[in-house]
Amino acid sequence: MTFPFPASDLLVILPELVLTQLALGILLWATVVRKGREATLAWVSIASLAAAAVLIPVAARLSGPLPRAAFGGMLTLDRFSIFFKVLVLLATAVTILFSLKFVGTSSYPGGEYYALLLFSAVGMLFMASGTHLVSIYIALELMALSQYVLAGYFKRETKSVEAAAKYFVLGAFSSGVLLYGISLVYGAAGSLDLGDVARSLAATPRSSLLGVGIVLTASGMLFKIASAPFHVWAPDVYEGAPTPISAFFSVGPKLAAYAIFARIFFVGFGPRAGDWAPVLAASAALTMVVGNVGALLQQNVKRMLGYSSIGHAGYALLGLLAYASGTDARGENFGLWAILIYLAAYLLMTLGAFGLVVLLEAKGYATESVDDFNGLSKKNPLAAAAMLVFLLSLAGIPPTAGFVGKYFLFSAAMKAGWPSLALLAVLMSAVSLFYYFRIARAMYLVEGEGELRWREEPAVAAAVAVCVAGTLLLGILPQPFVALAKSCLLP
Amino acid sequence: MIAAVLSGFAVALLAPALAKRLGRGAGAVLALYPAALFFRFLSRVPAVVAGETPSASLPFVPELGISLSFRLDGLALLMALLVTGIGAIVLVYAGTYLEGHPRRGPLLGLLVAFLSAMAGLVLCDDLLALFAFWEATSILSYFLIGFEREEAEARAAALQALLVTGGGGLALLAGFVLLGQAGGTLEVSALAANAEALKAHPLYLPALLLVLAGAFTKSAQVPFHFWLPGAMAAPTPVSAYLHSATMVKAGVFLLARLHPALGGTREWVWVVTSVGAATMLTGALLSVGQRDLKRLLAFSTVSALGSLTMLVGVGTPAALGAAMVFLLAHALYKAALFLVAGILDHEAGTRDATRLGGLLPLLPATGVAAMAAAFSMAGLPPLLGFVSKELLYDAALRASPLPFVLVPVAVGSNMLLVAVALTVGFGPFTGPRGATSKLPHEAPVAMWAGPALLGFGSLAAGVFSGALSPFLSAAASSALGHPYGVRLELWHGFSLVLLKSLVTLVVGVALYRGRHRLRAFAERFAPLGALGPARLWRAGLAGLVSVAKGTAAFLSSGSLRQDVRVVVVAAVALLGPLLLSRGTFGAADALPSVRPIEAVLALLVVAGAVGAVVAGSRLSAVVGLGVTGYGIALLFLVFGAPDLSMTQFAVETLSVLLFVAVLRRLPRLRSRSAPRSRAVDAALAAAVGALMAGLVLAVHAGPLRSRLSGFFAESSLPLAKGRNVVNVILVDFRGLDTLGEITVLAVAALGVLSLVRLRLAAKGTAGAKEGGR
Repeated sequence: MTFPFPASDLLVILPELVLTQLALGILLWATVVRKGREATLAWVSIASLAAAAVLIPVAARLSGPLPRAAFGGMLTLDRFSIFFKVLVLLATAVTILFSLKFVGTSSYPGGEYYALLLFSAVGMLFMASGTHLVSIYIALELMALSQYVLAGYFKRETKSVEAAAKYFVLGAFSSGVLLYGISLVYGAAGSLDLGDVARSLAATPRSSLLGVGIVLTASGMLFKIASAPFHVWAPDVYEGAPTPISAFFSVGPKLAAYAIFARIFFVGFGPRAGDWAPVLAASAALTMVVGNVGALLQQNVKRMLGYSSIGHAGYALLGLLAYASGTDARGENFGLWAILIYLAAYLLMTLGAFGLVVLLEAKGYATESVDDFNGLSKKNPLAAAAMLVFLLSLAGIPPTAGFVGKYFLFSAAMKAGWPSLALLAVLMSAVSLFYYFRIARAMYLVEGEGELRWREEPAVAAAVAVCVAGTLLLGILPQPFVALAKSCLLP
Repeated sequence: MIAAVLSGFAVALLAPALAKRLGRGAGAVLALYPAALFFRFLSRVPAVVAGETPSASLPFVPELGISLSFRLDGLALLMALLVTGIGAIVLVYAGTYLEGHPRRGPLLGLLVAFLSAMAGLVLCDDLLALFAFWEATSILSYFLIGFEREEAEARAAALQALLVTGGGGLALLAGFVLLGQAGGTLEVSALAANAEALKAHPLYLPALLLVLAGAFTKSAQVPFHFWLPGAMAAPTPVSAYLHSATMVKAGVFLLARLHPALGGTREWVWVVTSVGAATMLTGALLSVGQRDLKRLLAFSTVSALGSLTMLVGVGTPAALGAAMVFLLAHALYKAALFLVAGILDHEAGTRDATRLGGLLPLLPATGVAAMAAAFSMAGLPPLLGFVSKELLYDAALRASPLPFVLVPVAVGSNMLLVAVALTVGFGPFTGPRGATSKLPHEAPVAMWAGPALLGFGSLAAGVFSGALSPFLSAAASSALGHPYGVRLELWHGFSLVLLKSLVTLVVGVALYRGRHRLRAFAERFAPLGALGPARLWRAGLAGLVSVAKGTAAFLSSGSLRQDVRVVVVAAVALLGPLLLSRGTFGAADALPSVRPIEAVLALLVVAGAVGAVVAGSRLSAVVGLGVTGYGIALLFLVFGAPDLSMTQFAVETLSVLLFVAVLRRLPRLRSRSAPRSRAVDAALAAAVGALMAGLVLAVHAGPLRSRLSGFFAESSLPLAKGRNVVNVILVDFRGLDTLGEITVLAVAALGVLSLVRLRLAAKGTAGAKEGGR
């Protein structure tokens, strides 16, 4: 039997292959590692992620000029995918740093945990590269199935199990919706390869069946990025899941979902932008309102961040919308560019904020109310200052990454002819000041009562420091990064 | 210049350490920084007056044509001098005022950082950088107002100020983005150069309104004025600095800055002038009803900001000239009066104007400084306030829209303000001694030196106002967009303007003499304040909160069932309309006729489903589901797909068995949800069913394009020597897939086996333990 693809195609997925092997190795090793020595597994996991990151340029160099398609158009390696791969690996590595004490001090085995995280990362790496609806779907499921388990990893905690159950039921539902949409698109377009789909859609007349297929696919995507009205799972899951996993959910899977969202809808369904843009616009408006209004009253910081991440998903949808309206007079498409910048900023500030939640935790479980931040400025001024940077960035106040990202997104939306949505986004940013500053208020204007529960974790502190530096750097000197993002757009 | 301004943020970080090391001297040491900046700016005055505009630029995002540029023109110079000069005075004052306060260091640091942000704001030529500094001032003011953090009132006021000004700032950002789109650049000077095209652009009006929203919130214009009196919860040096001299002026500054680019249109003149005039009158009316010195000053500041806004709105050369003079005059006297109020509070233990009196012998230096400032505010010659009031009347008289409205408003407000000025700066020092809780002493020099300097400044600037003309002309010219000379004179000759000034003074003094009755009268209207925008604002926030509560209960209740409902409703709402659009289902006669056996089976399926729903126990529900599944399998059989049918039978059997095995362990079905909620569920289920049925029909009607089925049908026999296409696909075309599936199943089975064994083993040990007992 002959292998139907050139062997050099394997080079394209070299990082994924290696990471998969290492993850399997960790899973095996976990069976023999002694209790209490599981931190080693964490560091090996981080090393595996680093190895995958290092292998990305190697794969790019060895496999030929970019963009390089592989496996008969199932996957591709282009700068767009590399951008997301690097971010995904970073998010996973930071999550593992956050988990060190968490998993180490709990009675749950660490090996499976880290292996699941790595499998999830493999899924996300493939998502970034997928150019065929089936490969994308399989990658998505690989990611999601690992996550269902991770959400309920603390299986003796009711909240964690509840989160996992909800995530699984609604996630399975959304996967079904997505698959149904894909099958309808296949029926109409006769192919699942995104390039073929685009050619076919451009040639066939409008049909409502195709419209239904596209809308179903969009619904599945909206679910994955936690956009209204498919956002319902997010607050519960963020609140209930182990905190490092909540941090992970709020960035990694979302980034990967944005990657496939952009690729499916622009490369595949681009010719039918008129059909799906109104759906996205409605969802963006609803998402911004629901996320920001929902966050107003939350006492639980994780839940608040859950809602706020819904709001951010709404902002990012503006970028997708702007992208849908095509290139501007200078032949540039501003929307996707803005999304890339925004997502990087979002990654830094969200992970940073969650890092502080991890540091402030006592029993290792969701007890973090806003009041837990009371008086932080006095007890740990550096931590309070770091949190303030993240809050400012999340609210989109200069000179932070969040501002640069929002500025790009809002201008993209205005340029693309969605000024009303951009204005709504501005209004909702004003609303978001209210709840972000509740944390600032607790840190700076309220005296803490009793002992602050503070964990000495140099690894987490280092990760937070990196996030602070990145947030400020991107806010003050965005130029190099903006240029980089520009080179990573979809063709 | 940029580096010097931005280094303030670094200096701010040193403040806590300095305060610890130096004690009360820390303020004075920190003041060296703004003082140095002040003299540096002062040295640029001749060059700027001569028409030069030193500028600098840093690339920020060249891809978008965004750079950070700074420009020192007349307007920027005037503001920069005020910011640094008053900043130095306030820092010296604050160092002593807060002596012994545990968090003096952070406060001084915040003040220095604020000073830097403010200086950056007035210097930048780029709207994006301006926005950055603008928001920085809002954020810093949040911490400054909320500084007395033990007081709930201070925290609430801080948040209110932040939400109003920070939110307004975001509107400003939206306006800037629109301006950038309309004008093609974010540089103010470039926008001004292209003003005509900008004003004709369709985006002009929305951009203008957004920018105005930002400026009005910052400068406490009606209807956003309510945050400023609330912000008086801040320590007095902060109020003196932020709420008289600098931050609140940022809005007016922005209007003046953008006047060359956006001003002069009908929209500008009407909106800005009328809002300014309304604010001027509102502030003056509200101020006479106050007893607290700081609140008196706060409302009079609102009024002053209103007159500045009004002047910028009128936009004539005379008006902008008057605005610049008034900007200076107001900053000098109002900062002095705030500082004096702080001294009185400090020394006499009260800020209640009705309880203060006869203090001049006890606090001579403070008293003299206060009177100088108050007289300037009242517009007494020869102080700068007099000169500026003359110019204000002159400009109002010659305003193009509605001078007959603006003049009475200006004169009336100023009459009231004369009374306020005397109440604040004159009353406490004259007349009989008030009933204060402690015996006041003269304040330390570090505290009275500031007001004295400012009061003296008001006098000197008035007497030598002619010498200030070129400098203020430069400022007015930058606001105007073309050169213009302001004439500052103490004596204009007998004129209508002078008459108005005289009438203002006379009536104002009369009002001051009857101030107690006036206040009593005004206090009678206090309940009306409940109808004001502050209440609206609170109602708005409360509304938002209740919306948040309502939506949280509906959109994310934490209940999975509710969550599924939301998702299902959304799916039906999204897809239903699409399906209902014309031509989806094709012609009705395209549907094949139904055979009796099909109908029977369909009924069986339906009956199974209904049975599952209404079943009284879990097991009977499972049986119902099983009936549905077997019915579908039979349907497959009828339609000539025996292999599919067999698969379906197997799957159904397996799942029924699994269900039974699992559900056996659950308790009996007991409570059911309320009938109404079941009715909702039934409706939802029906909607989803209809949707799915519609989808199936639509799929049937549409032209399906599949290359695969044709390929398999044709190639099955020749390539794989098999007639059963499904079998061929499973074992041949996709043989590897099948192998993979088998492997997965085998692994899963192994897993199940090991779980079962573990469980058995656990049972065994548990049994052994019990047996042992």
